[in-house]
Amino acid sequence: MNQSNLATGKFGEEIAKNYLEEKGYKIIEQNYKTKYAEIDLIAKKADEMVFVEVRTKRGEDFGTPEETINNKKLRKLWGNARAYTAWKKWQGSYRVDAVCVVLRYDNTMERINHYENII
Amino acid sequence: MLIKVPSVANLGLETIKVDVEVNLASRGLPGFEIVGLPDKAVDESKERVRAAVSSSGIDFPAKKITVNLAPADIPKEGSLYDLPIAVGILNSALQFVIPEKSLFLGELSLDGSLRHTKGALLMALFAREAGFQNLYVPKDSANEAAAIKGVKVFPVENLFQLASHFLNRKNIEPVEYQEIPDDPPAPAEFDMKEVLGQEQAKRAMEIAAAGGHNIIMIGSPGSGKTMLARALPGIMPSLNEKESLEVTKIYSAAGNIPPGGSLITCRQFRAPHHTASPVGLIGGGTRPHPGEVSLAHRGVLFLDEFNEFPRQVMEAMRQPLEDGYLTISRSKERVKYPAEFMLVASANPCPCGYLNHPKKNCVCTPRQVRKYQKRISGPILDRIDLHITVQPVDTREFSDNQKNSELLESSEIIRQRVVLARKIQEKRFEKDSIQSNAQMKNSHVKKYCNLAKEVEQLLRQASMKFQLSARSYMKMIKVARTIADLEGVPEITISHMAEALQYRPKIYESI
Repeated sequence: MNQSNLATGKFGEEIAKNYLEEKGYKIIEQNYKTKYAEIDLIAKKADEMVFVEVRTKRGEDFGTPEETINNKKLRKLWGNARAYTAWKKWQGSYRVDAVCVVLRYDNTMERINHYENII
Repeated sequence: MLIKVPSVANLGLETIKVDVEVNLASRGLPGFEIVGLPDKAVDESKERVRAAVSSSGIDFPAKKITVNLAPADIPKEGSLYDLPIAVGILNSALQFVIPEKSLFLGELSLDGSLRHTKGALLMALFAREAGFQNLYVPKDSANEAAAIKGVKVFPVENLFQLASHFLNRKNIEPVEYQEIPDDPPAPAEFDMKEVLGQEQAKRAMEIAAAGGHNIIMIGSPGSGKTMLARALPGIMPSLNEKESLEVTKIYSAAGNIPPGGSLITCRQFRAPHHTASPVGLIGGGTRPHPGEVSLAHRGVLFLDEFNEFPRQVMEAMRQPLEDGYLTISRSKERVKYPAEFMLVASANPCPCGYLNHPKKNCVCTPRQVRKYQKRISGPILDRIDLHITVQPVDTREFSDNQKNSELLESSEIIRQRVVLARKIQEKRFEKDSIQSNAQMKNSHVKKYCNLAKEVEQLLRQASMKFQLSARSYMKMIKVARTIADLEGVPEITISHMAEALQYRPKIYESI
């Protein structure tokens, strides 16, 4: 094995972060841990707080990253977002996004997709 | 982006328009959702559409797709929404224009080709009434839809072909309207001339076919009851255009039309086994389906071994026998199916089968015989116009007759007489809503069956002697009317009535 899944995930998160920053998002937290789980990225754009789940896959031969976000994960993401906004006393609007990254085996990027408001 | 593709929903024999709305959202995770009360078959169309679109060489859009079948409060069933959903998705990818006044129907295969789908005729009828011009249906169902004049039917082989058609690359040629072929030969298992002897029974069959009367045959095993019944389709007149449409509608709704099939032009002969359930015979189910009585509409329902049918099944036929239609009521749906059929029943006289046999002795006790005969209920027997006893054929005559088989009347000759008698009836009932003598209500009898004094006297005497019920009394007049029609005589004479009286209800007379 060339690289562990954990390392792939970290690498993907970096790519996603750069990608969002290029799109004009301001990253305010990375790998923020709440009571339930971890939030990969928290960003802000136009007064809206955006919670981002990053999914990275090395090749799509064994399934797409989109497929790995199931209902259970969606519920968890929503719970996280609510917990965070409550904790920070955030009154504005917020949403949950997903960024799916597919890498080639030489760690170059094959595609990156940003899905807004997935819940 | 929202795309609307019009389609239909069939509730029984009624058709309503359904708008298949396909929405591709720019936000959200890619997914595919169908709403608007889909049943399992409609819901599974997600997978068929996904595979069919990819197989046609078009990338399935990675967007959140929501399909709504409007109006959303009517339950949708079946596989016919595959095509409209796929067209909506293709439209988003290829940006073509869906022609106005079009309707879509069809089940998709995973490779993108279209399969024969039920209900094409119902959709075509609806299209004509509601003013839709273009119908896109699977190639195998196109003939069925093309039976309706005034609509353009496009036979679609696969999704790719349809996409090329809409992009004006290669057009699909619409199917021509198909005239109903004149007088096609009705397929029958036996010719009447193969039935040896049984002249009286054949005569009764002819009368039954001519007037659409119900008939019951009682006789010992092997006397030829089943053979007579199976020869019946050969002497029945073919359906006229209106009847043909009625029958095909029912078959289209039930999905009983074979791929490539068109209008049904010959009268249907249904012979369900006596283990049939009430719902199988009458129709029903949570989503009401037509039963055997409706599939036998304008045709023959043959019930062999009539007393073996469960009581419940027999009694359930009483209402359709009288009214010619039935309403199936379920908690969520009410459906009216026509059931104007001719009942042909056959039964043995007793458990051993040899009661009143000229040669063999019956071994049943009177109690057994009574119990056996009581299985057929009185009300049902009362609704049967012609009662005949089929005598066993003498095997010595049999070999002589076999040689003379060529001299016997063939089905074709009998059929010509039947057709003539039906023509007379058609003309007579031109302004009424009925077609045959058997359907006459009392008012019709009064209007069309004037009895001379001596004829009425004969009938009155007979009804006193044989204890005929009021209904049987009327039925005797109707049968006499048919006999007169067969002869082409306008007035019912005493000989017509005398013959009709031979066919009176008499099953209980033997005990």
